[in-house]
Amino acid sequence: MSASVVKLSAEGVGKSFVGTGGRVIQAVRDVSFAVHENEFCVLLGPSGCGKSTVLRMIAGLEDPTTGVLRLDGHEILRPDRERGMVFQSYTSFDWLTVGQNVEYGMKLNRVPVAERRERAAHFIDLVKLTRFRDAYPKQLSGGMKQRVAIARTLANSPSLLLMDEPFGALDAETRWNMQELMVSIMDSTQTTVVMVTHDIEEALFLGDRIVFISRHPGTVLEDMTTDFKGGTRVRRKEDMLTVPGYAEMERHIMRLMREQGAEHEDEG
Amino acid sequence: MKNPETESRRWRWFDYRKPIPSHVAVGLGVAGWLIFFCAWIVSDLSGMVSELLVPPPQKVVAALVELIAEQGFLGDIAVSIYRVVVSFAAACALAVPLGIVMGAFKSVESFFNPFVSAWRYLPAPSFIPILLMWFGTGDAPKLALLFIGVVFFLITLVMDHTRGVRLELIETSLTLGGNRWQVLWTVVVPAVLPNVVVAMRQMLAVSWTYLVIAEIVASTNGIGAMMMRAKRFLHTDQIIAGILVIGILGLLFDYLFRVVHRLLFPYIEENAR
Repeated sequence: MSASVVKLSAEGVGKSFVGTGGRVIQAVRDVSFAVHENEFCVLLGPSGCGKSTVLRMIAGLEDPTTGVLRLDGHEILRPDRERGMVFQSYTSFDWLTVGQNVEYGMKLNRVPVAERRERAAHFIDLVKLTRFRDAYPKQLSGGMKQRVAIARTLANSPSLLLMDEPFGALDAETRWNMQELMVSIMDSTQTTVVMVTHDIEEALFLGDRIVFISRHPGTVLEDMTTDFKGGTRVRRKEDMLTVPGYAEMERHIMRLMREQGAEHEDEG
Repeated sequence: MKNPETESRRWRWFDYRKPIPSHVAVGLGVAGWLIFFCAWIVSDLSGMVSELLVPPPQKVVAALVELIAEQGFLGDIAVSIYRVVVSFAAACALAVPLGIVMGAFKSVESFFNPFVSAWRYLPAPSFIPILLMWFGTGDAPKLALLFIGVVFFLITLVMDHTRGVRLELIETSLTLGGNRWQVLWTVVVPAVLPNVVVAMRQMLAVSWTYLVIAEIVASTNGIGAMMMRAKRFLHTDQIIAGILVIGILGLLFDYLFRVVHRLLFPYIEENAR
């Protein structure tokens, strides 16, 4: 984790839309940060701060108006398999079984059948869905559907995993389980992750680095590393609460969040 | 304290959207038809309406049997089914792919939609005179009318359903490395197909409507033509028998589409069908 090879870099990235009545709305302005190899980077901020827009630009689903995003030094111009994305809403393909869903990306990329089967089985096992390999998504719970999406993306071996509030729609208990599952996946797969969330606890638990985005227009307010974890990942969520330094960092971020919210209320 | 078991067994006649016991539901459906037939028979027995204009049910059934046994009515039915099936298949062959591509790509939509929308507002039967002049009196003008009556609505329905395919599904495929063609075939088409079959089911009913119009206006065979012949000889029982057959055929085709839907798309949740 201390390896300092820059995987992803954002250099002065901005995004503006033309809103109703031709008014130009600046969603994101001058966002710069770097994500290193094998790092779990969290984009955190109040809702509506444009953090999802940043993630979509990293995916190549939207173009920045200004600035450049680079993956391994190459400018990001369009979506491709290098940057697989897990969405907040369920994206399992209803017409495919769990196994076929996980194989889907590899099939697009013409991975030979035998290798496909093997990799799919491995990642289905990793997200603990082996019993449901032949089930259709309608038989799965919300948490299971997200596990399918994660396995499908990882099985496609992206060099960067993008997640847009992937656990936002899940109930609290399922969310913990998924967060702990992510930690064990990070330990066993050596993936670089950029995840968007507005859940401070989640950011502290999963993130090696937290990039706090402010509101209106979204820009990097603070770029923090979760040093209190001492370079290791906590495996169980309740254990994090007693790690020295955790409470201070959470309080610090909560204050940032509150300031942003207060500014927002002033506008209204 | 309320006992949950007895609580769940109780039901009322007018609870919003609460399910009712299945035997009650079936009974209500049958009762509706029984009342209809009773009213029909009673009006006949009371002598309030002329038997010539409203023949009793038993006369209608007798007329139907006679039509089939002695006047080759099955041939008329076969001709009508043939017209519906052939014209409908042709309309689907054009409308489904075009609708999907229009729903998927704004450029294609912008090109075709102004054209298609305009045609949708032209009532298909208004084309009958010109179709007769172009195609004569054979099957062609009827097939053309049914085609025109269905195709523009079907294109619009399929386009709207395709637009409704969730963007996240498409974007998921893009970030897994899918190219344009792959996204169309592996996401857009399978995602929209169940709704396309539903739209086809709805439009088939419209197709039957135009069939009868076409056959009544200008035809020597088919169910509609039989009904017009019957009118000439004041055979109201035969006309109503014709209506009955069209209704039964419509129900049958509708049921067929439901079965096909269930067989083709077993992965869809039952309450979403």
